[in-house]
Amino acid sequence: MPNAIVATGLSKTYDVKVRDPGVGGAIAALARPRYRKVRAVADVSFSIERGHAVAFLGPNGAGKTTTLKMLTGLLFPSAGRAEVAGYDPWEGGNAFRRRIAFVLGNKQQLFWDLPPEETFRLNRAIYDVSLADYTARRAELIELLVLGHLIDKPTRQLSLGERMKCELAAALLHQPEVLFLDEPTLGLDLEAQQTIRDFLGTYRERYGATILLTSHYMADVTALASRVMIINRGRLLYDGELSALVARIAPIKRIELVLSEPTSRARLAEYGAVAHYAPPRATLEVPRETAATASTRLLAELAVADLSIQDPPIEEVIRIAFGEAEGEDEEPASRVDERRAPP
Amino acid sequence: MIVALERRAIATWGRQYAALLRTAFLVDLQYRSSIVIWLFWGVTEPVISLGIWWAIAGGGAVDGYTRDAFARYFFGVALVNQATLTWDAWNIDRWIREGEMNYRLTRPLAPIHEAIADNIAYKAPTTTIIFLGWIVAAVFWPAVRVPFEPTRWALAILAIVLAAAIRFLNGYASGLLAFWTTRATALVELQFGISLFLSGRIAPLSLLPPGVVHVARYLWFPYVLSFPVEVLTGSVTTAAEYWRGFGGQLAWLVVWAALYLIVWMRGRRRYGAVGG
Repeated sequence: MPNAIVATGLSKTYDVKVRDPGVGGAIAALARPRYRKVRAVADVSFSIERGHAVAFLGPNGAGKTTTLKMLTGLLFPSAGRAEVAGYDPWEGGNAFRRRIAFVLGNKQQLFWDLPPEETFRLNRAIYDVSLADYTARRAELIELLVLGHLIDKPTRQLSLGERMKCELAAALLHQPEVLFLDEPTLGLDLEAQQTIRDFLGTYRERYGATILLTSHYMADVTALASRVMIINRGRLLYDGELSALVARIAPIKRIELVLSEPTSRARLAEYGAVAHYAPPRATLEVPRETAATASTRLLAELAVADLSIQDPPIEEVIRIAFGEAEGEDEEPASRVDERRAPP
Repeated sequence: MIVALERRAIATWGRQYAALLRTAFLVDLQYRSSIVIWLFWGVTEPVISLGIWWAIAGGGAVDGYTRDAFARYFFGVALVNQATLTWDAWNIDRWIREGEMNYRLTRPLAPIHEAIADNIAYKAPTTTIIFLGWIVAAVFWPAVRVPFEPTRWALAILAIVLAAAIRFLNGYASGLLAFWTTRATALVELQFGISLFLSGRIAPLSLLPPGVVHVARYLWFPYVLSFPVEVLTGSVTTAAEYWRGFGGQLAWLVVWAALYLIVWMRGRRRYGAVGG
């Protein structure tokens, strides 16, 4: 299967003015401006096959959005190259822009004072979508995102979740091949988050769209992407299956128990490490390879009302992964040079 | 084949502009009360200037301008100013600083087209309102009547359109400096201050000191207000004056279009795209 996104050695370095605090610092900065090079993204390479969904994870300021902005042609990279939907994002022009969509969770393109329908109509003209295609796609998006009662209301009267659903519809009317989603569920309630996750999954399956998303919500990641890329301080730290990451970072399983009879902590400790004990509930941590055996023994030997085996929370896995990376990273990657003036 | 492609491109472009104009007009309708207030505000300045010059002229004339001539001139200023005013620098500054430029840059249509449509959707109805107000005033006040001469009126419309294009490109290109500096709008405000004198906003250009008029001739300011107003009110009479005026407009249009393209292309490379 051909690649929809290929990034090779992508880097972005900014010149940031350095200023000491206070009035003196401000005056000194005017007289002798100093600049610091800040490397937002450093030598990032990866490829994503057509029709695949990949999650881009990292803490704030890690370089996720900067990478997305380079791949969508918004930012010119300081080094490296990229190919998206067969185009160089900075040379592809309108033909490239018709093949992608970039949805930013914290910025909207919907007209605040007009109903979303007006933005849909405008986008139909901007993306040159035929009336037949527009009618069919609009109907499909309204159905999948449950927008029927929303598109005639002024955007300012919609909730955040309703706006985000309309925002997605507006961004997909031209049926892009590649979707870049930056925090698409940021700040939404659980129901809206779920609707958007379900919709994105359906959209990808139905049209073979490629999705690259960033999110702080692990539920987005586990629901939409089997592959994750972890970036921190501009460097790509991990690129692979989510399950492999979990297995490598946290080679344990969690057994969640609901006990039907009083059982001591010491008794439970015979089966594994007791991570949580609040009768009748308890959580045990056991090596992955012995999880099945331990569960069988627990069911046979103790009075268990309910039992489930789970991976450790992905948030914890990611936190551990970042922690490992910080340890390896002796030189702060973000600060690489300081000098008097930009070239 | 090429002709068919061009036809299709023109049709697409036509549909895009129709949709942009429609949306801009619908947004303006939501702000109709504000627009009426802005309209009054826009007319206030020429009315005050007229009041001052009316008092100065008394029963005579100031350098050939009688009270009636001042009245016609400042009615012309109100109309031309409404048709040519520019606010785009503030919009672009906000788009760039607050990240609203991002989605505009990922669409297959340069953001300048949205700004052009905004200008047309706002200025066409509001300039018409001022024009209708002028007609009503002319019924009761003969001094502000301008003889109906189709050729001169057509030339006045052309001069106003060119003036609007120059001011628009000037404001838009200046606003794009926000790619580099957070002071782009201050630069536009500075130009606005200078234009009060050099474009003929507070007094007809011929009443300014000769040295100032001489400097103004080498800048774009007289061509965006004074020249269209003088064509409209009949002060431009000779072919040489017309050639000089339209020649100056075309030259400055080319200069600002070129400056826009340079700033746009370099600014795109420079763009920091806020956030993340």
